[in-house]
Amino acid sequence: MLACLCTVLWHLPTVPALNRTGDPGPGPSIQKTYDLTRYLEHQLRSLAGTYLNYLGPPFNEPDFNPPRLGAETLPRATVNLEVWRSLNDKLRLTQNYEAYSHLLCYLRGLNRQAATAELRRSLAHFCTSLQGLLGSIAGVMAALGYPLPQPLPGTEPTWAPGPAHSDFLQKMDDFWLLKELQTWLWRSAKDFNRLKKKMQPPAAAVTLHLEAHGF
Amino acid sequence: MAFFAVSQTAFLLAVLSWRISQSEVLVEHLPLTPESLTVSINSTLQHLHLQWTVHELPYQELQMVFQIEISRFETSKVIWMGNYSTTVKRNQVLHWSWKSELPLECATHFVRIKSTVEDARFPELRFSSNWSSWEEVHAHTPGHDIKLIFPRDKLVEEGSNVTFCYNAGINQNLSCYLDSELIHGEQLYSNIFTFKLNNVPFIREAGTNVYCAVNYALKDGTVLFVSKVLEEPKDFSCETQDFKTLNCTWDPGVDTGLVFDGQPPQHYTLFESFSGEKKFCEHNNQCSWEISPDLQETYNFTLTAENYLRKRSVSTIFNLTHRVHPKAPSSVHFKNIGATNATMTWKIPALGNYSTLLCQIELRDKENALQEHNVSIKVNGEFLFSELRPDTQYVVRIRCANAKHVWKWSQWVTQPLVTAEAVPSKALDVWRRVKSEKGLLHVTIFWKPLSKFHANGKILFYNIVTKQLDKKSELKFQSIPAPANGTELTLNQGSYQIQVTANNSVGTSLASEIVISRDSGNEEVEEEKINGTKDGFHMSWKPQSRGRTGYVVDWCEHQRNLHCDLQWKNLGPNNTSTVISSDAFKPGIRYNFRIYELSTEKIAYLIENRTGYIQELAPLDSPEVKALNLTSHSFTLSWKDYDTEAQRGFIQGYRVCLKSKATQCHLDAVEELLPDNSTCCKHDISNPKQKTFLVENLQPESFYEFFVSSYTSAGESPVGTFTKVMTQDEHSHMLMRIILPMVLCVLLIAVMCYWKSQWVKEKCYPDIPDPYKSSIFSLIKSKENPHLTIMNVKDCTPDAIEVVNKSEGTKTPFIGTGKTLTESEFPKPANFYLLPAQDSSVPGPCISFVNHTYRETACDSSSCAHTPVTDTALPCQLRLLASPDNLQKTLEKTHRDSQGEIPAGEISLNYVSQLASPVSGDKDSLLISSPVPVLCSEYKMQTVVPSCLDSTVLSDNGSLSSVTLLGQGKHYN
Repeated sequence: MLACLCTVLWHLPTVPALNRTGDPGPGPSIQKTYDLTRYLEHQLRSLAGTYLNYLGPPFNEPDFNPPRLGAETLPRATVNLEVWRSLNDKLRLTQNYEAYSHLLCYLRGLNRQAATAELRRSLAHFCTSLQGLLGSIAGVMAALGYPLPQPLPGTEPTWAPGPAHSDFLQKMDDFWLLKELQTWLWRSAKDFNRLKKKMQPPAAAVTLHLEAHGF
Repeated sequence: MAFFAVSQTAFLLAVLSWRISQSEVLVEHLPLTPESLTVSINSTLQHLHLQWTVHELPYQELQMVFQIEISRFETSKVIWMGNYSTTVKRNQVLHWSWKSELPLECATHFVRIKSTVEDARFPELRFSSNWSSWEEVHAHTPGHDIKLIFPRDKLVEEGSNVTFCYNAGINQNLSCYLDSELIHGEQLYSNIFTFKLNNVPFIREAGTNVYCAVNYALKDGTVLFVSKVLEEPKDFSCETQDFKTLNCTWDPGVDTGLVFDGQPPQHYTLFESFSGEKKFCEHNNQCSWEISPDLQETYNFTLTAENYLRKRSVSTIFNLTHRVHPKAPSSVHFKNIGATNATMTWKIPALGNYSTLLCQIELRDKENALQEHNVSIKVNGEFLFSELRPDTQYVVRIRCANAKHVWKWSQWVTQPLVTAEAVPSKALDVWRRVKSEKGLLHVTIFWKPLSKFHANGKILFYNIVTKQLDKKSELKFQSIPAPANGTELTLNQGSYQIQVTANNSVGTSLASEIVISRDSGNEEVEEEKINGTKDGFHMSWKPQSRGRTGYVVDWCEHQRNLHCDLQWKNLGPNNTSTVISSDAFKPGIRYNFRIYELSTEKIAYLIENRTGYIQELAPLDSPEVKALNLTSHSFTLSWKDYDTEAQRGFIQGYRVCLKSKATQCHLDAVEELLPDNSTCCKHDISNPKQKTFLVENLQPESFYEFFVSSYTSAGESPVGTFTKVMTQDEHSHMLMRIILPMVLCVLLIAVMCYWKSQWVKEKCYPDIPDPYKSSIFSLIKSKENPHLTIMNVKDCTPDAIEVVNKSEGTKTPFIGTGKTLTESEFPKPANFYLLPAQDSSVPGPCISFVNHTYRETACDSSSCAHTPVTDTALPCQLRLLASPDNLQKTLEKTHRDSQGEIPAGEISLNYVSQLASPVSGDKDSLLISSPVPVLCSEYKMQTVVPSCLDSTVLSDNGSLSSVTLLGQGKHYN
């Protein structure tokens, strides 16, 4: 109940009727993007639980923290705080866009591993939502006049485990994919919150603590 | 013994010499030693694959046996020895594989081999070669990752045994886990550990995780994929619907597919041996096979299921014409639908001219199959249904199969059929109920709706024709629309014939006829009780007349409802008993049955009346009881009867439950324990008509509680609230016997007193005369002074004075006016007396007082002395003596005034009672004995006669008056 109230109060400035001052600017789309990241965070929490249970122990254990090994190619969400603060809007948005582009591609590969129809449905639904987030970030960038990053030739993310890539390592990669996705969504929420406040009149400073969240 | 030792030594020497000669031979044949031995590893299958050659084979081919030794870790640690027999050809490369239980990656293996010729054709070549040199082999582990645990991603079937090994290497604290469960490995060699899993189960499609960690830091892991065992396909069969395609189906059983790189689901292939064709099936439970145009007659199919671990096959062989499964019939229609017949047509999708079809046709109503027919057709079918019921809804279904060999029937095709209507086939079952009221007959006609079987269509209306039999009047028609089941007719007194018919769209049913006689509705028959059973009400009756056509028993099924739902049962003329049963009969409800006898004229006569319960129940409530005639030792209980319809059984009696402090019940009562653990004395009243009960032998001034329950054959009404009553005090009635008469007496006395109050007043406390209110005034006023208020003596006008002279005893004449009393007028002969104011010289007069207020005591003999009358003192002054004192004073004064003039002893004052006889009493005082008539006795006033006084007084006008003894209007002088 309290959370709902807080959410409503939080979103009050975004109610269009209260903010009709001509061109709304990128504010509403930033807010929508922020809301979408929060929604995806919630959605991923459920999906990750199901998928890690499906992989079996130790992947579904709360304190499981394997080495990255094959997940090195995944875009890292963790960044030094000072570096994160010093990011300009364009770079911040670009990093988000590139990260989700890669993660979405990896995530689609995850669908192949799913044995149950229900899990496949959940993954497909999440992919669609993530595709929406990607579009939303692109919309914000367009609104701010930033060009979309072009993928460098030969750097297309692929999901092609080689013959030496064992299934255990594959499971670890899946684990890291979900974990990285979770961290990225958390970071994006901070990014868009910061961006949102920046687009609005100056408000209280934001204190950001970037930490890796376990599942 | 010595001999034995010598001979043994000799034998050994002989053998040794033979072995030396053999070695010499071998040296000559050393080229048969296996050469070019290479060992390779298949990690997945955990196979060591050996490959070698035998050079310079002396013959084209030789039967040889190869001895193989395999060592692990060191050449000295031989773990396996075995022989491999084969025929070796010249220049042939020999192959042999060995399956290792331990993953080959965990250890270095060494292999060596030697050969022995064991060919019967060349016994001279029977010798063994030297061992080849040890061949060392390491499993190749690609990639840069440090792999610690093996085998990697192994796939096994459920129930298999798997051996794992891991290399602890430099990790001293390496622990390995199977799905988070710590595994205790067995040290195999140096830092190589192993553990074995027996009878592994299937856990999940994503495999079972086996991993190793140092202080919970993951170092390496692998997945053990456990597949379910591939099952043989079940129910494999093939059939055709059109001679173009064969459809083969089967039950695949469990899916053995695993995710990741475990194992894809099993796949199926279809192989036909006659044609040699093979087809990969896209689905895991069916496969279609194109039939060749030349119509191959026989097919032999083999279905093979295959996964990484296993193959399972089933086969079937059949003749194509025996596997025909026709498609469902199409275009199923009806034509020429009548009341009792209809024609059905249908088509079968073309099967060419290859076969004749047998079609099965089934006609069903809602529940049962009524008709079944088999029809052989080629393409188009037609069938005529007959003996159908009018206006009936049928369901027709049809299916077909190959007529020559029924493999499978086609799907049923269902089509509804409704036949046309026909005339109702049966007359209505009609009954009536008649009430005679105010010279009219109220006839209610009931009929039972025709069953669907007899209605032959939807009944639209009912026609009622009423005809009076006594007169030749017109027929009266009435039409009642369906779905009515009765109507009311009001008829004049008389006999009527009533006909009822049912009508549908096609026609009219036969008429049902009943006759209402003139006496209908007035029958009265005594009611008899019957007992119902679970089968119903059994009742029998006596025939009343010979000319009867049957009986009818009617009753109300819902007895307590306003619309009683009249039911009736028709019985033949020879039936004199029946059982009436109905699901509507409920326990505790009274049902009345009337039995009618039907005459040949179709008139129903009520002959008997029955009432009863299908099952009697105990009463639900108890009668309302009042306590009457309460006395100190008894009281009477009284209650009213129940409503007959409300009774749940025939009341057989009542029970009076009486609670008191008395510990014992009377002889006619039984002590009974109540639900509240109290007890009461229960009196039984077995006569249901008795509605009172006298409770007696009670204690005065005591509390009693009573409750009256009724009972039927099923039991007693529940115990309700007890009513309290207290007996009266024992003496209260005695008090009533005393007090009541006393009160009545007092009342009587009071009434009497009131009635005689005037008399009592006069007797006990007479009014004291008020001189101002004396009535004399009226007399005086009228004559002299109208304003006179106080009468003075002088105002008195005495009329006469009667003087009695005792001594003389003579009558003294009046002087003065000379008038006699009789002559003077005295308008009011009031009860007062005037004292004459006469000249004192007149001797011997006597004064008489007449005043009822004058008390005897006021004028006793002592006080009433002789009163002399003087001129001056007016001895005869008239006064009203208000009191005896006044009177006494007056008299004394008068006496004193007159003493000197009237000689004592000559005149006396006497009381003279008017009632007294003139001769009674003192004869001396009887002064007026002679003139006083006896008739004056009705005067009860007393007269004081002073005999001593002069009898004459003067009136104002100078006339003399005489004292008058008033009575009967007569005056005495």
